[in-house]
Amino acid sequence: MTAVNEAGQLALQEKQMRRDLAKTVERFAFYSLLIFCTILFFAPFLWLLTASLKIRSEVFNSDLLPNPVAWENYIRVWQATPMLIWLKNSLLVGFLAAITVTISCGLIAFGFSYFRFKWRNTLFGLVLATMMLPGVVTMIPTFLIWNQLGLVNTHVPLWGSNIFGSAVYIFMIRQFYLSLPRELFEAARVDGASYFQIWRLIALPLTRTALIVVFIFEFKASWVDLVKPLIYLQRTDLYTLPLGLKSILDQFGQGGEMQWEIVLAASVIVTIPVIIIFFLGQRYFMDGIATTGLKG
Amino acid sequence: MWSFRSKQASHRFWTIITLLALMLGVFATVISAQDDVSGSLSVLGFNGETGDEIATVRVAQVRAAYPDLEISFTEGGLDEQQFLTSVASGTPPDVVYIDRAILSTYAIRGALIPLTDCIANQDIDMSQYRETAVNQVTVDGEVYGIPEFYNNIMLIINTKALDDAGLSVDDIDTSDWDSLVELNDALTRVEDGTLTRIGFDPKLPEFLPLWAMANGTALLSEDGRTAQLNDPRVVEALEFAHSLHETAGGRQPFIAFRDVWDFFGSQNQMVADQLGVFPMEQWYMNVLADVAPDAPLSFKPFTDRNGETISYATGSAWAMPRGSANQDAACAFMKTMTAPETWVAAAQARAEKRAEAGTINTGVYTANQVADEMIFGEIVQPSGNETFDNGVQTILAVQENAFAIPANPAGSEFRQAWMDAANRVLNGEQTAQEALDQAQQEAQAALDEAWSRSE
Amino acid sequence: MATSKSVIRPQGRITLQQRETLAGLAFISPWFIGFFIFTAGPMLLSLGLSFTNYDVLSPPDFIGIANYERLLQDPRLGMSLGNSIFYALLHVPLVMTVALGLALILNRVGKAAGFFRTAFYLPSVTPAVAIGTLWLWLLNPRVGLVNRGLELIGIAGPGWTTDPNWIKPGIVLMSLWSVGSTVILYLAALRNVPNELYEAARIDGANAWQQLLRVTIPMISGTLFFTMIINTIGSLQIFAEVYTMFFGNMNSGPASSAGLFYNIYLFRQAFEFLRMGYASAMAWLLFAIILILTIIQLRFSKRWVYYEGEG
Repeated sequence: MTAVNEAGQLALQEKQMRRDLAKTVERFAFYSLLIFCTILFFAPFLWLLTASLKIRSEVFNSDLLPNPVAWENYIRVWQATPMLIWLKNSLLVGFLAAITVTISCGLIAFGFSYFRFKWRNTLFGLVLATMMLPGVVTMIPTFLIWNQLGLVNTHVPLWGSNIFGSAVYIFMIRQFYLSLPRELFEAARVDGASYFQIWRLIALPLTRTALIVVFIFEFKASWVDLVKPLIYLQRTDLYTLPLGLKSILDQFGQGGEMQWEIVLAASVIVTIPVIIIFFLGQRYFMDGIATTGLKG
Repeated sequence: MWSFRSKQASHRFWTIITLLALMLGVFATVISAQDDVSGSLSVLGFNGETGDEIATVRVAQVRAAYPDLEISFTEGGLDEQQFLTSVASGTPPDVVYIDRAILSTYAIRGALIPLTDCIANQDIDMSQYRETAVNQVTVDGEVYGIPEFYNNIMLIINTKALDDAGLSVDDIDTSDWDSLVELNDALTRVEDGTLTRIGFDPKLPEFLPLWAMANGTALLSEDGRTAQLNDPRVVEALEFAHSLHETAGGRQPFIAFRDVWDFFGSQNQMVADQLGVFPMEQWYMNVLADVAPDAPLSFKPFTDRNGETISYATGSAWAMPRGSANQDAACAFMKTMTAPETWVAAAQARAEKRAEAGTINTGVYTANQVADEMIFGEIVQPSGNETFDNGVQTILAVQENAFAIPANPAGSEFRQAWMDAANRVLNGEQTAQEALDQAQQEAQAALDEAWSRSE
Repeated sequence: MATSKSVIRPQGRITLQQRETLAGLAFISPWFIGFFIFTAGPMLLSLGLSFTNYDVLSPPDFIGIANYERLLQDPRLGMSLGNSIFYALLHVPLVMTVALGLALILNRVGKAAGFFRTAFYLPSVTPAVAIGTLWLWLLNPRVGLVNRGLELIGIAGPGWTTDPNWIKPGIVLMSLWSVGSTVILYLAALRNVPNELYEAARIDGANAWQQLLRVTIPMISGTLFFTMIINTIGSLQIFAEVYTMFFGNMNSGPASSAGLFYNIYLFRQAFEFLRMGYASAMAWLLFAIILILTIIQLRFSKRWVYYEGEG
């Protein structure tokens, strides 16, 4: 009896050990893969960072670490360009673009989800169709409109049209509203709440995460946009970072003396603020996206 | 202020003040016709604040001459999109700094204001500017731009490479294309399958006009109406220049290699022995004189197949966009920036800077002949470095034989047509004949369309 | 449904249905206004311009369908459209595959998930100008990081920036770096897949691969479809990175044909060759193409996209 028992226990132990081993191997493989991918994605940044700290004649050599370390590249960027002003402009425009589009899309999406009326689906189809419109189609006419309004060479054209919503975000937030049980709103209606109150007091707080996602997506889109600033801004003190970076590229890189280390240093400076913002906000961001349940 | 002080002053003091005031007045009148030059002036496409001393010193001169004028620069190169939208919206810059090869396009389409009034009011002496440059910015007899630099081409030679091959500068003869092939073969170096020295860089696609001219033809007729891109001489020139890449293993290793040169640095391709000979604009001699004064170099004119010296002149000009809000100031700015005294001051600053750094001063090459005479008569003295002194003399001689692309209303598209054609040949996508036939068609259609529009 | 209340509507007042319609319209009114001012208006204007010879600098003249005829004869138009479609065909499936792979990996990371998410998302928040500049050097055949990496595993890397045949693959490689946004969307979708489904599959004896095919992909097919459409639209309009790399001040030879994407050519026509009228016609052609492609994708989606709601 005991012998059988022991043998059984041994077999069990062996099984357990094998399972542990398999698990360890699998885990090892998994983390190797993770680290490999991370290195792959991080390498360009590391190269950018180290190259930006090299002296001009060594920018393209294969050394991993800069030697000597050329901090002066950053000092030169800082001195030659109003980086701080561009940063301030980018933050301001990004914030305004994001906040306006978040509020307006929250409102519009509610209109397209809670209420039932004739033409609703047709109109919503129209919203989706505008997603397919290449920006270049409307670029010049839109420019002429802002020009008529006397707002060229201000920041307004960079965020102003966001007051009227944006198709992708309307779509995203609507998905979220549709997932909320309708009874929630009906109860409030019975209590005499106005439609606006329903939206303001019930729908909006419940969609907070979705709104954060929209906010971050639009902030990011505004942060990297080059075309709009290029058309609408002519004064250096109004530039946003991408446009500033382009002017640095023209001045020091391709159009200038090919001082690539300066261009690279500027690229690093442009990237850092948004790294910080994303790192701090990514938790909410992830929750937000997960709960919007983008289901096509 | 002055009159208030003079009341308490002695008679002698009063006289001095009067004299000084008088001189100041005269001085001011000389510098400008002194209409009301004040307010703000926006300049697009010029690095007036962060540029080199030639730029900043001249801007300082303008500011000193017009203390009431507030000048602001949109730095970096001219961005067409930005420029066009600003003109279209009626909020253009007051002055723009623009490549002479495309200036006429904007002029013919009405985006620029003719400078006839400006030249008359400010009494600008157009004869001081080089004819080749002025012709480029003249449309229907009206001048639309004040020329700035005058870039010309000569051969820049790495004598170490020549020594290695047992050759001398006299062996370089651009009039004899067969010998050029031999020279290229002798100077090209490939080690372990890796290209480590380019023998002769034909500088394609950008110098196609030079090669065509060397073979006896221009890319565009004098009147700017007829493209001559598929002229057999252009085809032959492109085929030949392209063939110079063969020794290096084709165009691809060439570009990969060229892209990583420390072109503006002390370890540039001449110092690092990565290039044998190439035709290049004189501003690069200035760079070399500064960063590599001891490099083993030599300079020589580029010649056509008859042995005549030729050069392809390029450069920018100042122009006034339609809707420029401060035209008086814009005009005064253009005049002062390109005036002989201003150029001399800039050249002087460069001379001092180079002397301080212990490098060689090879001057500034402007489109203002009077300025150049002063610069090379008074400021740029023989440095004792035979190589660069010879380079200065070479380029000054070359300037007399320069040609430029004539004014036309399709500047950008015309340039794109021949550049793309050259690129297609370099990439092996088409033969020279096919590529230039296509380019001819594109360019002529663009010219016809643009001319018919402007008439 | 609000039917129960509509029964007790007082006489002489608007019905609940009407009220709801009015309120709904009020809520979407901002979009309506914006649609007319910033979408429909400009669209019509640009449609109008496509029948003129507008050059931005002088008033346009009506030239009939000349611009559209030109579209048919322009050899560069076909070439640039071909380039963009070629790019989209490579880019979209690759981005989706890579993003899904990364999302599956990230989904398993417990500790320091924030760090890894940030690492993969970073390229997406890097301005295109910076990406273009950076990759011009990463892809340099001689000194670039990419070919140095390939050398480590014994592969002689191609001329990413010098060989016309490798220009587009190089650009696709660059675009894969910015896969972060798609990864984040997939990651979110993965979180919403109920665990019970995997457990059920395991009990049925499904291995990891089968679980992926039978549970994961169907369950996130909505998101896959969404990203497919968005990426297709986006990739056909690729512009800023490539423009910075090859078409800025440096007129790069190897990319002059191979890297001439549709929007780059359009930009040139509009702002360098001063043919705004023709550029408008080009823009409308692109719009039509995107519209058709999207409709095709929508049609096919019914075969493979699974919607929870439809059960």
